[in-house]
Amino acid sequence: MLIEVFGPGCAKCQTLEKHARSAAEKSGGSHQVVKVSDYAAMVARGILSTPALALDGQLKSQGKVISTDEILALLKG
Amino acid sequence: MSDVAARPSWLRRGGWLLLALPLWVFLYAVNHAMSEWLAFRFLGLTPKSHLGEAVAFLFYDTPKVLLLLTLVVFIVTFLQTFVNPTRVRDALSRRRPGLGNALASLFGIITPFCSCSAVPLFIGFLRAGVPLGVTFSFLVAAPMVNEIALGMLFAMFGWKIALLYASTGVAIAFASGLILGRLRMERYLESWVQDALNAPALGEVEEEQSTLPARLDLAVQGVKEIVGKVWPYILAGIAVGAFIHGYVPESFMAGLLGKNHWYSVPLAVLIGVPLYSNAAGVMPIVEALLGKGAALGSTLAFMMAVIGLSLPETIILSKVMRPRLIATFVGVVSLGILLVGYLFNAIL
Repeated sequence: MLIEVFGPGCAKCQTLEKHARSAAEKSGGSHQVVKVSDYAAMVARGILSTPALALDGQLKSQGKVISTDEILALLKG
Repeated sequence: MSDVAARPSWLRRGGWLLLALPLWVFLYAVNHAMSEWLAFRFLGLTPKSHLGEAVAFLFYDTPKVLLLLTLVVFIVTFLQTFVNPTRVRDALSRRRPGLGNALASLFGIITPFCSCSAVPLFIGFLRAGVPLGVTFSFLVAAPMVNEIALGMLFAMFGWKIALLYASTGVAIAFASGLILGRLRMERYLESWVQDALNAPALGEVEEEQSTLPARLDLAVQGVKEIVGKVWPYILAGIAVGAFIHGYVPESFMAGLLGKNHWYSVPLAVLIGVPLYSNAAGVMPIVEALLGKGAALGSTLAFMMAVIGLSLPETIILSKVMRPRLIATFVGVVSLGILLVGYLFNAIL
């Protein structure tokens, strides 16, 4: 799955990226984590508040740092 | 979130929180006695001396502000998990100026907002048909009427000052947005923003309903993050506050920031704007200023200038606005802060 983390680079965004990476690792599947920090890209995706997280292009959360467990649950669907 | 994974951690977290509350109350209750003991008995400083009073302020205020901040951040972050920016945006979409500005100013207080979210939020609002002036009301209110500052003011100075701060902040946000909307400054947005506004919108966010444990988790996380980040500012604020408390004579402060001079309010704003602190860090300074006879209007203006007009946020916003729009934005907000300062110095 493609895991995208959106955020300009503030502390919260970095924490979310870390959670996403450890969730990807723990789940054992083949996932790719990408950090998106371009504002225009965020706007185009309809993101209002950062940090945000999308799975395979589908926005799953925004404006909060969700935990590794929550991301794992999302990955399992 | 699956129930199996959630339940044990929720129980542990719940138990921990139940233990934390009495500990908090105990620490808060013994703080005053503890600080006097430390300053006057343990260090042997003389009460009423400059150094003694400054050090006692330091020992008293550090735990007090940190304890209050922890509680305030926990409550505020928990409540904010119920506010969703997407719903706020939809409520403001295509609102007429006036009512729209009023709603935006109120929503600005409660919506979780960090300055790194300012850009996507700004454009997202505009794109959903929220008028520029209404968006500005939101952007002014969000940092200026800071929900943590509001909680701290309530805890430290009572509901009257907290209400004064919230209502004047909302009034400034309302008026600034109304004025900026009238000026029709859409053309002073950066060109990439104008392109983005015309691009077709992609799919909307589907968000799951949060559970109570997840909300409490976010609140605990908020405390860790915010208290972990702002404590240096608090210590700096307390050091300045302790200095004012111990060394600055009352007549000097009452003269400089008192209500009898025309220059005290602009002076307070001029000192406040470049001071980059945050809501919590400025509280000990406010406490010391008020204690030394500074007028409420001047102090309020100082606080709003520190919290509401910050350099980092201006820099972030310059990615979407041309210099002329930024300058107008800062100018209108500063004017509002000055008016509030004069008003309260005159009537109180």
